Amino acid sequence: MTTKVLTMDAMTLPDADAVIARAKRGDPVALEQVYRAYSTPAYNLARRICRTTEDAEDVLQETFFEVCRSIRNYRGDGSLWGWIRTITSSKALMRLRRNKYRDTDELVDDIAPARSSSPALKMDLENALDRLTDTARAVVWLHDVEGFTHEEIATQMGKTTSFSKSQLARAHARLRVWLGEESRS
Amino acid sequence: MTTPVHLTMDQLLALRDGDRSEPAFATAARHLDSCATCRAELEALHQRTARLRALATMAPAADQFPAIRTRLHWEQSRRRRIISFTGMAAAAALVIGFVGSDLVAPPTLDAEDQIAASISRSQALEQTLHTWGPDDRVMDGRMAMVVIELEDRIADVDARLQDVARLQRKERMPHEASLWQERVGLMNALVDVHLTKANNVDL
Ligand SMILES: [Zn+2]
Repeated sequence: MTTKVLTMDAMTLPDADAVIARAKRGDPVALEQVYRAYSTPAYNLARRICRTTEDAEDVLQETFFEVCRSIRNYRGDGSLWGWIRTITSSKALMRLRRNKYRDTDELVDDIAPARSSSPALKMDLENALDRLTDTARAVVWLHDVEGFTHEEIATQMGKTTSFSKSQLARAHARLRVWLGEESRS
Repeated sequence: MTTPVHLTMDQLLALRDGDRSEPAFATAARHLDSCATCRAELEALHQRTARLRALATMAPAADQFPAIRTRLHWEQSRRRRIISFTGMAAAAALVIGFVGSDLVAPPTLDAEDQIAASISRSQALEQTLHTWGPDDRVMDGRMAMVVIELEDRIADVDARLQDVARLQRKERMPHEASLWQERVGLMNALVDVHLTKANNVDL
């Protein structure tokens, strides 16, 4: 995972070390370079957790405002993207808690089995992801795509590791059905 | 023949992630060796994960950096203004002090005129504050503390005004004049704080 994120820094922010050093001194050009390099992955992460583009844009602004203010405290012991990603994720989860878009999936549970039984109505992955509860969607995205550990997710959510694990299992169980992947009889 | 008990999603995930903290990890791994159905499930899980990672990256529609730059700039100038505000608050305290010492000497206006002037000045300042309205815009913590302190002191003056109202007229007047002037000084300081804040917001 470390190799993956280091590659991300090298790919998106050429001459990362020098840019980071200048950004730490408050150089506005360097701060903007950091924003340009990571605003898209940060937005994507925020958008996958939040339900609306407006919320994701707010999270993006909050994240980079925070990044610009506290980059001088970034110790550089992990990748810069790893650091920004954690800020983004915690801001997005905060927004999620504030808005509580969808707390339970009772509604989707009612609809889903009937739909999935018909292959014609099988959902695409985007739709299926959208139907998950906020928490399950956040966990599956943070764990399986962004590469956060269950421990990290639990800390950010203020929950236990087993909560994070059970949410991931729940997310996959539902995705499997909604995507029409049931192979067992 | 009994219906085989297949692996749960938790167990499949533990196998996918090599999570040996899952209690039945070893049992699950053994089951996998002998069960084609669960091997297919694990493969489906791997594929689903790969599909999740391959979903298109969503890019922001708006460039947030100009707003971030403005906020950073605003925050920096606010910090500078707070430093100058500390001096301003000290000046306000001095004004209040002078007003107090003026009272020691016999006032040029008689007490009643002075009270009337102070009341109308106090009302005008209250009106000024009211014009800005009670806004819940972000105020720096230190500035908010100053506001709270000033408001507390105004409330204290008001309480003392009520106390002196019980006194005889002759005794009451000098106290009342003094208290009203103190109130004007405090109101002025409060207006200054809100003015500083309003200027910051306008940046
Ligand atoms: Zn099996």
